[in-house]
Amino acid sequence: MLVVGSGMAGLIAAITAASRGKSVRLAARGAGHLAVGNGCVDVLGYVDGEIVRGNPVDSISRLSGDHPYRRIGAETVAESLAFFARLCAENGFDLAGGNGENQWIPTALGSFKPTWFYTPAMNRETLSMADRIVITHMPWLKDCHADMVKACLARQRRLMSKDMYIEETAPFRAHRNLTPLAAARFVDTEAGERWLLSQLLQCLQRSSSGRRTAVLLPPILGVTRSAEIRARLSEALDADLIEMASPPPGVGGLRIRRTLLRAAAGVGVTVMENAHVVEARVQGQRCVSLVCDATGGEREVKADSFIIATGGFLNGGLVAAPGGKVCEAIFGHALPAPERTEDWTMPDMLDSQPYAKLGVQTNTRLNPITPEGDALPDNVYFAGRTLAGYDFVNEKSGMGVAIATGYHAGMNC
Amino acid sequence: MQQTRIVVIGGGATGIGILRDLSMRGVPAVLLEQGGLANGTSSRFHGLLHSGARYAASDLHAACECIEENTILRRIGRHCVEEFEGLFVLTREDDPAYVAPWLAACARAGIITEEISVEEARAREPALAPDIRQVFRVPDAGVDGFRLVWHNAESARRYGGEVRTYHKVTGIESVNGKITGLTVCNTLNRESYPLACEYIVNAAGPWSGEIARLAGQRVDITPDRGTLLAFNHRFTSHIVNRLHKSADGDIFVPHGSITILGTTSAQAKNPADTTPTPEEVLRLLSLGEKLFPDVWEYRILRVFAGNRPLYTPPDHDAGRGASRNFVIVDHEQDGLAGFASIFGGKLTTYRLMAEKMTDLVCAKLGVATPCRTAGIPLAAQPARATLERAGRRLPAHGARLVAERLGDQFPKIVNAPEQDSGADLLCECEMVTRAEVELVAADPTTHFLHDIRFRTRLGMGTCQGTCCSLRAVGVLSKSGVAFAADPRTALRTFLQERWRGLRPVLWGAQAQKCEFNRALYGATLNLNGADDEAD
Repeated sequence: MLVVGSGMAGLIAAITAASRGKSVRLAARGAGHLAVGNGCVDVLGYVDGEIVRGNPVDSISRLSGDHPYRRIGAETVAESLAFFARLCAENGFDLAGGNGENQWIPTALGSFKPTWFYTPAMNRETLSMADRIVITHMPWLKDCHADMVKACLARQRRLMSKDMYIEETAPFRAHRNLTPLAAARFVDTEAGERWLLSQLLQCLQRSSSGRRTAVLLPPILGVTRSAEIRARLSEALDADLIEMASPPPGVGGLRIRRTLLRAAAGVGVTVMENAHVVEARVQGQRCVSLVCDATGGEREVKADSFIIATGGFLNGGLVAAPGGKVCEAIFGHALPAPERTEDWTMPDMLDSQPYAKLGVQTNTRLNPITPEGDALPDNVYFAGRTLAGYDFVNEKSGMGVAIATGYHAGMNC
Repeated sequence: MQQTRIVVIGGGATGIGILRDLSMRGVPAVLLEQGGLANGTSSRFHGLLHSGARYAASDLHAACECIEENTILRRIGRHCVEEFEGLFVLTREDDPAYVAPWLAACARAGIITEEISVEEARAREPALAPDIRQVFRVPDAGVDGFRLVWHNAESARRYGGEVRTYHKVTGIESVNGKITGLTVCNTLNRESYPLACEYIVNAAGPWSGEIARLAGQRVDITPDRGTLLAFNHRFTSHIVNRLHKSADGDIFVPHGSITILGTTSAQAKNPADTTPTPEEVLRLLSLGEKLFPDVWEYRILRVFAGNRPLYTPPDHDAGRGASRNFVIVDHEQDGLAGFASIFGGKLTTYRLMAEKMTDLVCAKLGVATPCRTAGIPLAAQPARATLERAGRRLPAHGARLVAERLGDQFPKIVNAPEQDSGADLLCECEMVTRAEVELVAADPTTHFLHDIRFRTRLGMGTCQGTCCSLRAVGVLSKSGVAFAADPRTALRTFLQERWRGLRPVLWGAQAQKCEFNRALYGATLNLNGADDEAD
């Protein structure tokens, strides 16, 4: 079988199918949303603007019937999340959460967002329990603004009384454009880890001591060895290290991507890099092959079944055209959408947006269907943001839907 | 009670031009603007400094004024004017019989035209339609409306003029048919105060009808909405006009790194009605494709609209048929001394409008000093040494951009100490540094992130604020500048304004861009859920 897309949904689909003994090829064009994400797995943070309490899987029944979670069922969602957690554990990826209720993780803006799986200690509880919070300021990183974080944190009722300090750290080298990813890669080296330890030691020495210290950082604790680096530094500093969810590059997302690629290789998935699907060959109700433009030219890849996880408008899985038109990128199906562009959006950018819910409609097995309910090619499955029916921004459900539908497609194909 | 001699209402090009003129003639004056500087019509146009060729055939007088002012502005406003040429292009759909009388009219107005071959035109502008028939060069130029207003304001302040932004006029007082002062509300702290004066100039653009009503007067203006599209790259290096009777969607203007296509003309519901519709966008694109056939494929940065304050006396046409000439009404003839209104006209002739208005005010006040605005540059050219120094800190192109944006304030950021030069770029699209943001933020007229945007172009480039607005808010939090909103509200307001410009064009690369923006601020940073954390 052929999986198109190597974001979260595509990788999970490929690993699931290969674990079932399928021979799987993965056509990767880029890294999908993992390259810009923060490495947390949001499952469901809000329903209709209301905070989800308790296990988010239990709130799935409150979603509308065309939501991907409803299509595949809450049980499958729970199963897929357990599969993901197991996958991470087996591959040495350190993951917290996944039980009780959503946790609130700090962001580079000084706000908090609800998420289900996260890096250990990266939550509000850690901050609440600390006596002293040290916010590292790295003015050499453009998206790191400790004063803004402090101003926003100080407005939080349960953090108001904490001692908060801003401590500046020197850059690891002089350059006009340093990113957290460059810093994280440096920290992966021995010299880099030593550098970070000495910087943080100085930070902690400068601010008065506390019994329990939490240190807020941009995501720079390594890409390849982040768990061990965090453990060693936490012990040496006697402090909890918390990376804030930050703007891209998505260091956290890239850590997950590494882990999943390794897992995929372990179950025999073959990856075609830099492959762009340019044509679908369909005979009757079946897709026969996809033509990929990859390194070395165009090639036709035949398969018994296909999982399409090419993303939404952002990653090119969905294409919108003037006059209220939208289609799926590979098969070119016109998708149902409001005729007037006015009706695609709401006035507030961060409200639930009708256009954000546009996508491919499917049956419960994730095969595409026409608006009348007829199946299109029945050996094709869709997963991730290409699917219709959810606004991941408003719900905070992006990675959760990717995992659940990727898993479901991988189990069905 | 506070008092001054003259109060100018309206912080657009006309009002600020009048303030500069009055100040240069030594007349004490205060300018009141309900929002930030240039937030109305002066920032909502295509950025075309007319040669007059567009009006030559229909209105010779307006054409003559344009070419004269065009020449003056190139001299006094070098920081604000981009001296590329204009092309007038006869497309397949335009009437060839229009050309000869148009050429004759241009000649009468003193506008130099030169025909070039279609081959040469297409060599200069490869994206032009292959089936165009005739092309003429004219001395059109580009002008940055924001910057023009700012440099006028700074110049006016150097001559003693005072600018109060976010100050709304709520009442106009007179005694025995003579102006005595007005009531002003500071919209930031909602405090009202009286301000005594001898004379009021109403230069409120599309709002001038409402200001006149406060004084019990009437002016015949109609706010006429023009919609424009900004594309994210510069696909033409010339201003490109269609060679026909002025109509919709027939002007392309390159502007820095972007291109603007305009305009439409429709009566606005009210002066603040600047929301464009998808129909207007589709119409602009289908008109624009006559000149640039690939225009549908280009990424749109945003769509925006401005209201022309058109003079529409009873029984006259509104819209395209209305005169583009300016009008000064001396309300003394209607029984109110000390009050005059100015409206109509074009940004190109703002200086001339200001001169005429100031002449009238000075005549009333018995001030005999002549106008000097045509002779004295708005800002000095930067010294070579300053530019060189800037070039060592900034990318070479950035140094020139910053010099033009900041005018006389440029040396301040270049001469900052080496150890904290503030040269880090917050906005990579428009090359805005931290030092520049801090300098502008400290200006007494700056209260919101969008004031910084107007002044520096932060957030106006291809990222449309996605990357730089967070950084700007972060820097402002650190510098301790007292802003009118907390960091998150400031950020949200700013992004919301950008979203407004994308909603009617939500397809293609724009949809991609919106999705990224929402993913970052909604999903990763939970900007909208900020209040939920209180529990």
